Amino acid sequence: MFTLVIGGAASGKSEYAEGRVLALPGRRIYLATMHPWDQECRDRIARHRRLRRDKGFETVERYTDLAGADIPPGANVLLECMSNLTANELYDPNGGGEEAVLRGVDALLSRCGHLTVVTNEVFSGGGAYGEDTLPYLRSLARINRRLAARADTVAEIVCGLPNYLRGGPLP
Amino acid sequence: MIFVTGPLMAGKREYIRAALGLSPEEFARRAVWDVQNLAAEAPDLSALADALSQREIVIATETGGGLVPVDPAERAAREAAGRLACLLAQRADTVIRVCCGLPQALKGRLPC
Repeated sequence: MFTLVIGGAASGKSEYAEGRVLALPGRRIYLATMHPWDQECRDRIARHRRLRRDKGFETVERYTDLAGADIPPGANVLLECMSNLTANELYDPNGGGEEAVLRGVDALLSRCGHLTVVTNEVFSGGGAYGEDTLPYLRSLARINRRLAARADTVAEIVCGLPNYLRGGPLP
Repeated sequence: MIFVTGPLMAGKREYIRAALGLSPEEFARRAVWDVQNLAAEAPDLSALADALSQREIVIATETGGGLVPVDPAERAAREAAGRLACLLAQRADTVIRVCCGLPQALKGRLPC
């Protein structure tokens, strides 16, 4: 089973995604993709770690090449988030580009139990972007569409509440 | 008229073209897209909405989700684009929002 969660900044998408994974039995892996570049990143990571405390997640950090991540077979994986992973694959010297993102998701889907992916809605603020930003947006948009096309459930989170574009809550 | 809206690069054109089974040529003839860009120059948004509504499919990108632009012209353009979208939605039989390539009917029903 594959769930895609999309939402804007501070929309409550992480909490929704965590809640969804918590409802599933078995091992829970939090696959963290944010590179701790600076103090702001480290603060953000610490906030997310606090949110997950006592929820029984094992954290695996992986910035590129998800296919190589050490994921126990059958575990329920929460990947957060696609906008960071896409930037890493596009701009990190170790990155493998857009295809590496999709290959990584394929690898996860073949190995894990339920996969939940958190991605970002960054496409509603107009199109006045420069050529430095547009390739990234195009890649993230294509990845979001490709993932949405194969997900069993797609939930857009607004004010912490899910608007289901496909599927619905877990039974 | 079918009005299709949604975020940038959400797959709006691809969705409606596939949903109606149109060839690229047929689509180009029956649809008009990126109409949000027409709003800023229009002297009369209602007249523009009336004219656009004569087409079978009208597509606009949502542009109002970011911060208020610092530039007054961009601010006015964004405002006009949002108002135009409302006028088009009023005139449409069907309004569909596409996000990540997936449609939701906001008015009427999705074409099957």
